Amino acid sequence: MKSFFRMSYPYILWIGIFIVAPMLMILLYALTTAGNSTLTFQFTLDNFAKFFSDPDYMRILLISLRIALLTTVFCLLIGYPAALFIANLSDRMQTLMTLLLTLPMWINMLLKTYAWRGILLNFDFTSELKVFIGMVYDFLPFMIIQIHTAIAKLDPNLLIAAHDLGANRLKSFLKVTLPLSIPGIISGITLVFLPAVSSFVIPKMLGGGDYVLIGNLIEMYFLQTGDWNIGSAISLIMAIVIITAMWATKKLDRSAQED
Amino acid sequence: MSKKLISALLILCLVCLPLFALADGTLNVFNYGEYIDEQVIRNFEKEFGVRVNYSLNSTPEEMYTKLQTGASFDVIVTSDYMIDRLIKEERILPLDKEIVTNLDQITDNMKGLYFDPDNTYSAPYLWQNVVLCYDTTKIDPAKVEEKGWEILLDPELDGHAFIYESPRDVFMMAFKALGYSMNTDNPDELQEAYEWLVKMKQTIHPSFVTDEMIDGMAQGEKWIAMMYSGDAAYASMENEKLAVWAPEQGTNIAIDCMFIPSNASNPEMANQFINYVLDYDNSMMITVETCYTTPNAKVLEDVTAPGGEFEGVEGYLPRSGYEKDEIYQYVKLLQSETPELLIKVKMQ
Repeated sequence: MKSFFRMSYPYILWIGIFIVAPMLMILLYALTTAGNSTLTFQFTLDNFAKFFSDPDYMRILLISLRIALLTTVFCLLIGYPAALFIANLSDRMQTLMTLLLTLPMWINMLLKTYAWRGILLNFDFTSELKVFIGMVYDFLPFMIIQIHTAIAKLDPNLLIAAHDLGANRLKSFLKVTLPLSIPGIISGITLVFLPAVSSFVIPKMLGGGDYVLIGNLIEMYFLQTGDWNIGSAISLIMAIVIITAMWATKKLDRSAQED
Repeated sequence: MSKKLISALLILCLVCLPLFALADGTLNVFNYGEYIDEQVIRNFEKEFGVRVNYSLNSTPEEMYTKLQTGASFDVIVTSDYMIDRLIKEERILPLDKEIVTNLDQITDNMKGLYFDPDNTYSAPYLWQNVVLCYDTTKIDPAKVEEKGWEILLDPELDGHAFIYESPRDVFMMAFKALGYSMNTDNPDELQEAYEWLVKMKQTIHPSFVTDEMIDGMAQGEKWIAMMYSGDAAYASMENEKLAVWAPEQGTNIAIDCMFIPSNASNPEMANQFINYVLDYDNSMMITVETCYTTPNAKVLEDVTAPGGEFEGVEGYLPRSGYEKDEIYQYVKLLQSETPELLIKVKMQ
């Protein structure tokens, strides 16, 4: 055991340098005023106050949560039947279908979004609908793959047993397949919701420039005004939203398993 | 023990990998996207035996942030007001005039700009102004010429306009429409400009985009755009229905310059590069490729002369010497407030 632990040193170093340290710096920036020298810090909560007291920013937060939620629900609605369909195919077809699903993921996201820009140009959709389409397209494979993995793991004998005990197809789906695929659904939701809520490239490219999400706001503070303090405060608020969402889905997962 | 040593070495190598890129014989150049003829870089590499590491940024603010985080570049091309700021912050190395001799080829009005009167620190790269580019079959030229920026408050243009998404340029337009200086530090004037833009947004619902508008205008996607003259020149060469107009309320003369940041690792080669770019042949290649106006006097004469690449192209040669046109200065109020206000304009 001990020797295996040693193998994780590079990983620990990696997350230390690239995840923990930046997070701590974001925390520090979020809680201090601009223009501090390296050694003395002026602590403040103004950065948070500015965000929460601005009705426009609150609207941006709500719009971001709304589109992320819509994307997640829609991905689930079309992703689940698709995953179920794939899982019922022969092994070779399943491999082929998974390959077809992951194929577009080999293409850079920017390129795909550019292609969508060209396609959507010809339609008179609202900015929100365009961004929604782009997001569903980009994140759908994550949902399908997660659910498919969960369903494919199911022991087919469970379904045979359900049939033996008199359950029809609908009932055996509701009582066996659906409950046992919940972990897949949960990780699918996490993998779609998290990138959707913080996405800034898709709204920028498909939203026609007047569709602002929280990711664009953070980008603006870091790249344009150079006000890293407020930018960090908003990033921290987003991190809290995301961690809460993850905690809630975990909780849901556990209570589902207890049922 | 040796295993530990090897893994430690491996990690060290991983961490130090980016440093190798800075080794001698490379020149790090930082420029805007689609703003050079890449052949110029390849020729320079061959002639001087260095590898040019060419990277891109999209706004002066992004460049400043990169510089702030300690990134090292040898030559940077950026906008006038950002050079103003960097000179004031003493973050620029003076040019080596022994090497940069091609400065004499620059036209007089691009030399000795307000932020660098003797070209001690910077050499002009390309210049332009911000103009209205519009479709003459959809909008009456007389109306555009009479109203200038105010045409963007015309309800008939609802859904048919592009605005270049750059906070200071967007506010420049509002300041000029209201008759103020675009370098104002008066918060009341800023507030008024904000209200002008909100009215504009609510009346014509423009698309705020960046370089997408170049092809967009060339393909007739919208009727009117607030855009850079070089982009307008390109679009009007592609689509003959387009006309270019610099409003009489005044506009921004933007001059992008090259400079050597104080943390440059190869200043001598950087001076060579700047001199190389200023030269007749290379200036010609760059202006022909980008459609932006060259500061090289001889090239400018040749491309606009009969038979030249830009003969009769409206928008290629920005108006100069007009009293209501200004050059951006670094104004702290505008620098910190306009990006936030632009997001609020978009939210309306």
